[in-house]
Order: sequence, then structure tokens, then C-alpha cells
Amino acid sequence: MKSVRHFLATASVLAVATTGLVAPTTMAQSAGVTIDDIMNDATTPQDVVTYGLGTQGQRFSPLDEVNATNVKNLVPVWAFSFGGEKQRGQEAQPLVKDGVMYVTASYSRIYAVDIKTGEELWQYDARLPDGILPCCDVVNRGAAILGDKVFFSTLDAQLVALDAKTGKVVWRKKLANYQDGYSNTAAPLIVPTKKYGPLILTGNSGGEFGIVGEVQARNPENGELVWSRPTIEGNMGTLDGKESTMTGTKNESWPGDMWQTGGGATWLGGTYDQGTGLAYFGTSNPSPWNSHLRPGDNKWTSSRIAIDPENGEIKWGFQTTPHDGWDFDGVNELISFDLEKDGQTIKAGATADRNGFFYVLDRTDGKFISASPFVKNITWAKGIDENGRPIYNDDNRPGDPKEAADGKKGKAVFAVPSFLGGKNWMPMAYSQKTSLFYVPSNEWGMDIWNEPITYKKGAAYLGAGFTIKPIFEDHIGSLKAIDPVTGETKWEYKNKAPLWGGVLTTAGGLVFTGTPEGYLKAFNDKTGEVLWQFNTGSGIVSSPITWEQDGEQWLAVVSGWGGAVPLWGGEVAKLVNHINQGGSVWVFKLPKQSASN
Amino acid sequence: MRNIFAILPLSLLLSGPALATDLPADPLGSVMWESMARTYYPGGKIIFDDRVKLMVPQAAEDQFFVPVTVDAGALADVEEIVVVADFNPIQRALSFKPGDAEPYIGLRLKVEQSTPIRAGVRTADGVWHMAGRIIEAAGGGCTAPAQAHTNANWMATLGKTRARVVRGQGEEARITLRIRHPMDTGLADGIPVFYLHDLAISTAEGQAVASLEAYEPVSENPTFTFKAKLAGGETALAVSGRDTEGNRYAMSIPVPAPVGN
Repeated sequence: MKSVRHFLATASVLAVATTGLVAPTTMAQSAGVTIDDIMNDATTPQDVVTYGLGTQGQRFSPLDEVNATNVKNLVPVWAFSFGGEKQRGQEAQPLVKDGVMYVTASYSRIYAVDIKTGEELWQYDARLPDGILPCCDVVNRGAAILGDKVFFSTLDAQLVALDAKTGKVVWRKKLANYQDGYSNTAAPLIVPTKKYGPLILTGNSGGEFGIVGEVQARNPENGELVWSRPTIEGNMGTLDGKESTMTGTKNESWPGDMWQTGGGATWLGGTYDQGTGLAYFGTSNPSPWNSHLRPGDNKWTSSRIAIDPENGEIKWGFQTTPHDGWDFDGVNELISFDLEKDGQTIKAGATADRNGFFYVLDRTDGKFISASPFVKNITWAKGIDENGRPIYNDDNRPGDPKEAADGKKGKAVFAVPSFLGGKNWMPMAYSQKTSLFYVPSNEWGMDIWNEPITYKKGAAYLGAGFTIKPIFEDHIGSLKAIDPVTGETKWEYKNKAPLWGGVLTTAGGLVFTGTPEGYLKAFNDKTGEVLWQFNTGSGIVSSPITWEQDGEQWLAVVSGWGGAVPLWGGEVAKLVNHINQGGSVWVFKLPKQSASN
Repeated sequence: MRNIFAILPLSLLLSGPALATDLPADPLGSVMWESMARTYYPGGKIIFDDRVKLMVPQAAEDQFFVPVTVDAGALADVEEIVVVADFNPIQRALSFKPGDAEPYIGLRLKVEQSTPIRAGVRTADGVWHMAGRIIEAAGGGCTAPAQAHTNANWMATLGKTRARVVRGQGEEARITLRIRHPMDTGLADGIPVFYLHDLAISTAEGQAVASLEAYEPVSENPTFTFKAKLAGGETALAVSGRDTEGNRYAMSIPVPAPVGN
């Protein structure tokens, strides 16, 4: 009913029923990508049908044709331009299936490209309203694919299903009201369920506008909502069109009615582990930023939550920054991996938080295993205690404006890391070959202070002022190889500009990531030595992929500078304001004659 | 005589699918005629037929809104009416399947420059009955942004519709619809393609009356006029539509009693 527009001529508005529904257990199995293809994506390198090269999000490819010896011979095969005047940040990870690449772009656009030729098969530009409210550039991080449909979410908080062959809209559903500050930029996550068949899971964005974070699960055939799960305690979930359970207990960690506008956006989407059957979502900062207005832990903001896809219930939550006061928007991906420790194999998950600490958790129950700093000179906490709770430096929390003489600006502090985080959205990778995580991090701090604020629907809800500063002369960006067993940094690659792109690692002993300076770089996975680089002509703030086609290993990365750094960058702008915008996909492979070098 | 008989079987063999060489010459002399015929009027034989009444102004007063009316009421068994404009960047404007309605359609078009406008009427035997008129026009109807975009909040009124059924004698009824939609062609700078694509009219009981597919050249806020024969007891018609973004529209139009009842 909701999606049917009203007509003036008569008050009677008829809903148009969606016809031709297929039973959930058999749906989407007939053509194209199956749920098994999705579950097996990490071990079937002939295609890339998930965001993360597998729903666990490891971004590890078993392909090894391109290796430390021959990677120097990589050459571009083609480049594809997104065109238009809309050359803003391009943060997408492409998908590949049956010789076709599906890649999203800024302003909620998506393209299907013939991989052999680089020619466009179709393009769909979402017709966005003028009043969209994305906080941090008009990016999109990727699509999902199942059956004969490709799905992606848009800046006006809609989920669109397109015919994979033609790019025509099959259905489109409103996830939330964009006028209230909601938007969507993450790749949807498709997971299996026993009761409903495959479901498509989406998060939401808008943590800067006083929204309430939520995960929604929908039927991929028609977009109908199956369940929803708010992240902020006190809010009710839904299941099969009815209220299900409340998240947490109302007012346990929130004062008054602050939970109604508490933030906790799930703006980076989720990962899924078939072993535990759980979907893992990170949640953003609490709203407003001014923490003195909301005493308490403010659950589940700045947390990882594990959701049972069968009913949308939260199985466990782990809060990295209780009562956040620095915008440590802990939405970062939780990557499932097997932790070999003390002769045991532990079903673990790792996450590198905005707050500068690298956490290892038991992914079955969320139990804390370890945390170690992955950026230098952290000021806001002395460390993480044995229960996983930060040992706060109380002096380093920005002050309460009420205590200021004029009541307008609280005491400013210089805190590390900055609100853009030790690591932001850009996904890290885990190598099954080296058992190391490759973490794209940034070394920076901020001056931050609080200001009075009241909530107004659809308006920024921060109550803070800030400016970012580098903490080292020669670099902000820092790609690190981190041992999840010890928390040690095995090697570090320093980059002048902040890193804002995802990482890929391969059985060929390589780590790939892009830089704002425009380079796609290949590193030795054991030493961090740069073995190859290629300049794509604009900054890279996206996640590379690799796959096998016609017996050859291919690589692809999207190029196009943007994202949050140029918008919020403060003093950092000096390092990046000369970087030109772009919008293209680059595809690489080894020339045939040198593949055996 | 012997020669003619010998040739006849061969020409019969060739007269299956319409070939370019079978095309009648275009009375409008358009350089696009062969391509238009091949692309939009495929399959059967093509004839120019005075029984198809195509009404367009000689000159477009407004290149964004050119009224076009096609009346094929003199033909029996009409299955489809296809309207095109030769020199538009997107040529096909409309495909109308009258079903149980009269083979009559009124609409408004955008034109990019002076152009032939054609209506092809396909009858059950597969023959396309053509009519064409040249319209003089100032340029730019298809590449300028829709007027809707002067208002940042244009989406709030998307799909709002005015509709009316006027009864004539007996079963006669004339249905006019106007639907708020920018009908973006995708050719204006920075504005993606976005248009109302499917529209269907059925009885209140759900029985199909007529349907159409609209394309980019149909004017902003599309206005359509249909003619139908309605049984006396009909009190409402249902209209449903869908645009290229998957937005669905549905409404019910009250039907007044026939005149003289």
C-alpha cells in the first residue's frame, strides 16, 4: 500500500497486488545466481557474487596465477567510464557473474559491463529526489545478486531490484523516509533461511540526523518486508507484519526519550557466517555527538550485533565504545575467521574499530578475546580491559557545554584517533595463507568540542564542532599487516594521504589496495614491499576484486576520488585538495606471454 | 502471358515478410521512412490508408505539448496503434492496444524539431495502416528539463491524477486522464530517464478494457483520451500504471450514467 501513490480524482486508492509469487523455498533457484553460489563464493573464484568475496567478508581469493614474481607484468585490459557530470566518490566493489560485471557508482547509478570487451550492456540511474540527505558524499558501495535480479540501495533510502539482463526495474521498495535523514549506501547482504528461503538484508544510514539504526530483511522476489530489527534499545522489531520484540530494555542505558533518536545506524551493511548462521552488523555512533546529553552506555550504538536471520532477534551484542563521545562510529565490518590460539581453533571474528583498537571476538557468542591498538598515540582510552571495555581517559572526553561560562562551547580536547577513525568504512582483508589481517588505517587526531543541540527532524543532530589534524609529518594513511593472535603489526606501508579504499589479498601472496593519489598497489603479503602499482587517473576509494575467467586471473578496481575525506577533512584537505575527481572501472590481467614469468 | 505465369509463383514466395523493397513510397518524403517502417512497424504489409485519421496541428504552438489524436474507427479488428516522430532523438512515443475500447487515442508529444508524425494501425490480419503528417516546430522539446524540476519538491505530487468519464448516447463514453509525471527523456543534462511506461484500464471487476505503453516523447504530465463502450450498469473504471522506477499508480474513476437514461 505504501508504495502506491495517491490520485486526486478519488479518495479510493487501490493497491496493486504483486502477482506471480513463487514459494520461498524454490524462489530464485531457476536462473542465474543461486543461494549456494552466494554461500560458496569465497571458494569459487570464477565469479564474485558477494560483497566481500564471500559473505564472511574475508576478501581473500584462492587464485594464485598472479603472484609476487609476475605481478609486475599486470597491465590494464580496459577502463569503463561512468560518464556524466556526477564524478563524486566511487566506493563500489564490483560483482562478476557469467562474463558480466555489475558495478555501482555515485548518485545511485549501476552499470552492467561485458567483461570481454568493456562495453556497457545497460545502465540504470536512480531518479533521486532533490532533497536527499547523505552525510558523507553521494557514494554507493556495491550491489547484491540472486537469481535473475541485481539489487542495490539508493541515497533516497530505497531498495531497487533490477532485471540482471536488461537493467529494468522489477520492484523498488522504500526502506525509510529520506526526508527524515535516512539514506543508503551499503551493498545489501543475501542470506539463507530455513523458513523464508533467501532473504535480502539492508542496513540504514543517517546517524548524523538522529535516526534509529535498523536492519531489515526482505523477500528478494518482491521486496516485501519479513522482519526489521532496530539497533537502539527500547525500539520494537517486527516479524511477518507484526511487532515482535523490543531491542534490549527501554531506558536501561539511555535517559528519557533519547532512544527515539539515538542513531546506531547500520550504514555499512553486514557480513554472514554460515557456520553460526548469524548476520553481523556494525552500528554507528549515538546521536547526538554531545555525549553529556545521554548519560549511559547507549546500547547498541558503536557496537557489533549478531542477528538470527530466521526471526531478526539479536543473539549477542558487543559494544566497542560505550557512551561514545568522539563519533567512534563503530560500524566496521566483523570478519569471520578461524583463530589458531594455544593449540585450539576458535570460531572468531575480527573487527578494526573507528576507535583505533583491533578486536577479536568469539563469533558464536560475542565473548571478548582480545583488543590491541592498530593506530599510534591513542588518547581517549588507556587500553581495553579484560572484559573488552575501554579504560577511558576522562580528561580526553570533550567537555559539557553547560559547564562553560557562556554555556555555548564545552572544553575542547585533542583526541586520537579522529572521528574519521583509525579505520573508516574501507574493508580490511584476511589472508588464509598468512593468517594475517591487512588493515587500511589512518593516523590522525582532532580538536573536538561540544555544543548545545536539540533534535529537529531531518536536520543534522551533532552538538559538536571538530577539525582533523595529521599527527605525523609524512603520512596519514597506513596499511598494516596485523596478527590476530598477538595483535602485533607485522609490517606497515605508510601513505601520504589518508587511505580510504578496501583491501584484497590472494593465495598468490599479494595484498592489493588503492590510494587517493590514484594508485592501485600490490604488496608482498609477508613484507609489505610494493611490487607493482598503476595510476588510474583519479583517487581510489573502493575495494578491488579478482576472479578467474577463461583460464586467466583478472583484477578490477573502481577509480574516482571522493567520500568523506574531502568533505570533512580539515587540515587534511591540504594533502588531497589537488586530487581530481573521476569515475571509472579499471580491469587488469597478465599479458598471455608473460603469465608464466 | 507465359512469362507472367512463370514469374507469379516466384513473387508470391517473396511476398511473405515485408521487405524494404515492398515498402510504399512515403507520401511525406522522409529520409527516415525506411528505418521507421522496419523498426516500429515490423511483420505485416504496410499501406497508407485514408481511413486512419491523424490529427496534429500544422505548426507546434509549444514543442513540449503537441496534441496528437488518432482515430481508426473506420477500421475493423484493430489490435495496436503505434505513434512515432521521425526526427525525434527517441522516435517511438506510444503503443496503444485498444482491446475492448475504440481504436481511438489522444495524447500530447514533445518534438525536438520539425518532423513527420506517424500513426500505424495494425489490424488482426497483420497489416499496418499508416497515416502521417508533418509538423513545423521550434527545437528542443526532448532535451530541456521538465517544468516539474523548477520545484524542488516535485516528487510530492508525482502520480497525482485528474480523470473524467463523459458519457454520450447509449454505451459511448470518453475517458480523459492527466497524470503528474515529469516524463524525463534522459536527454536533459544531469536528469536520468524517468517516465510513466505502462497504463491499463479495466472495469471495476477487473476485466481489461485497454492498455498502452508510453515512451519518453510523451509530454510531461501525460494526458490521454480514450473512447470506450460501457455497459449501462458500469459505475467505475480502474486505472493502473507503473513507471520506469517501479512506482505503481492506481485509481478508480467514477462513471456517470449514460445520457438520456
